[in-house]
Amino acid sequence: RAHSNPFSDHQLEYPLSPNDMDWRKLYPYFYDESKGDMTKEVTIADIGCGFGGLLIDLSPAFPDKLILGMEIRVQVTNYVEDRIIALRANNVKTNAYQNINVLRGNAMKFLPNFFHQAQLEKMFFCFPDPHFKQRKHKARIITNTLLSEYAYVLKEGGIIYTITDVLDLHEWMAKHLTEHPLFERLSQEWEDQDECVKIMRHATEEGKKVERKKGDKYVACFKRLPTPEII
Amino acid sequence: MIHPFQSVASNSDGSLLFFVIKNSILVYSVKDSNDEFKLVGEWSDEADSTAIIKEKVTKEQQRQLAENTAKKLKANDGTALPQEHKEAKIPKPGQGAPPIYQYIRNVKLSRDGKWLFACTDSDKAIVMFEISAEDKNNCLRLAKRQRLPKRPNAITTTIDDKQLIVADKFGDLYSFGVNDDQPCVNPEPILGHVSLLTDVAIGLDSNGKQLVFTSDRDEHIRITHFPQSFIIDKWLFGHKEFISTMCLPVWAPELLFSAGGESSIFSWNWQTGELLDRFNIAELIQPFLTENHLAPDRFQNKEGNLIEYSVSKIVTFDSLPLIAFFIEATKAIFTCQINRDSGKIALKQVLEVPYNVVSLACAETTGELIATLDNQNSHDKNFVAFISMDVDKFHINQSKQQKFDDFINSRLSDNEIANIEQEGIYPLYHVASLRKRGEH
Repeated sequence: RAHSNPFSDHQLEYPLSPNDMDWRKLYPYFYDESKGDMTKEVTIADIGCGFGGLLIDLSPAFPDKLILGMEIRVQVTNYVEDRIIALRANNVKTNAYQNINVLRGNAMKFLPNFFHQAQLEKMFFCFPDPHFKQRKHKARIITNTLLSEYAYVLKEGGIIYTITDVLDLHEWMAKHLTEHPLFERLSQEWEDQDECVKIMRHATEEGKKVERKKGDKYVACFKRLPTPEII
Repeated sequence: MIHPFQSVASNSDGSLLFFVIKNSILVYSVKDSNDEFKLVGEWSDEADSTAIIKEKVTKEQQRQLAENTAKKLKANDGTALPQEHKEAKIPKPGQGAPPIYQYIRNVKLSRDGKWLFACTDSDKAIVMFEISAEDKNNCLRLAKRQRLPKRPNAITTTIDDKQLIVADKFGDLYSFGVNDDQPCVNPEPILGHVSLLTDVAIGLDSNGKQLVFTSDRDEHIRITHFPQSFIIDKWLFGHKEFISTMCLPVWAPELLFSAGGESSIFSWNWQTGELLDRFNIAELIQPFLTENHLAPDRFQNKEGNLIEYSVSKIVTFDSLPLIAFFIEATKAIFTCQINRDSGKIALKQVLEVPYNVVSLACAETTGELIATLDNQNSHDKNFVAFISMDVDKFHINQSKQQKFDDFINSRLSDNEIANIEQEGIYPLYHVASLRKRGEH
């Protein structure tokens, strides 16, 4: 299935709160038995990670960060899980790919169940479902109302990365992020020097497909601004 | 028979009661000394939405036709193929179409009691009335009708009553100037959940800053700054089913009570985010459950004994550390004592009323509870239960109830809207339908 309705009541598993999330199962290498706690927390999230291409390329680039992919489609999630199991098995000696994993979830509904306030440093939105129809725009993953939730889980200075091959969606995402008081767009120069932008342009399956078709890829990145004084 | 009252609101001292029957609002004054009732205001929603629906359907047809035209079929060599334009699928309103009722879902008073707001079900609007005590003929002065893109569900006002806050069934929250002359044309949401919003409330933090509380069908209570609604303060986590009602007491501004599709009333210190108590009602409610509380067949267990019930509403008073609540489709109202310091909930009284409670309001300053009842089998008796405080105990005021029944029968027995056959009853129970059923 190419799509999944973010509004329906899927039988999803999600923790009651971020404190109830058991990360040990996803990142056993980063669990300290003696302390009974994780040694690190997730700071990079790939929302709608698809087939996991970005996760796999980010893994060696940020070996000391925990990276989580969230995907709403069951079969796709299972595929990414298998892929990561295989990668870990093939790299037992170096412990590579221990820092990435995936879970099935509806980020539009349950993101705050997984992450504490200001927990994340980076969030990726790569080739999201364009939802072309006007009346389905609320189903888009970037809306002004959802951006407040992303701002809540991002720390000050944290980055939102977006990439799409649909110009209309790119303009929509850039417009909403620009208009949101807690985000500021980063310059072209910044994008050109950023390692993640480089990876994002080439790593994902969608990105590769666009490349094969010689299509355009539109990137926009935004910085989480400090929370202003409460009035 | 006279239709049951489907929603009720009371001013702070219980001297003005606002009832909803189908598409009409009736305002009665109550003289404290002898419980004498008088009709002081009345309004029926006669808005004809046929034109709006027609316009919508036409627009949708045009949109679909344009979409069909835009779809290009390509031949194998890439050239465009000529294509027949399919007709739009939207049915046209006309003869045989179902009748359209302007049901009023609920009513809510502003904090100062000077405004009344009503949510209409069918045309997705908020109707705003100025309440003028001077007008002897009708105290309801229609100020404006604010249409919304999706069905409004819950209303509150800011602390100063200048902004009306509306939560809709699409998960969006809107804010409107109460005193604005004209309705807003293209309202934009100030915040949104990707879930049906069930209730909304406004509270003040220790610095006197306003926050807006929104609860949804996905177990979330979100607290957001207002008017800086892009800044989320926190979520309150702990509910495992939908939330249907929230209640912020004046006597302890840091407390919040919430409940919904599970067997507990939650008590929170929302400022710290701490869950203070979970008051279990499973045993208390047992004697009041009926076969109406059995889960629907599709979701029933093998034994056929799976029971589901939902808390409909929690209310509190201005100065008494008490809450009152009821479970949908039951004949009981529960009152509980709250420990002001610990937030702990303790049962005070269980009050049994003659019929299922449909809606509950309270006169915050006098401590009176007003419950409308599903009295469709009563032969026009027991429309309302009045529950008042008498030396630290609540009791059902039988004589007031009797007087009210007599009054209603004398006033409404020939009222066209209020008199109905059994099948013309507005659906009185809709909280249970919020329960989530996983798809896959």
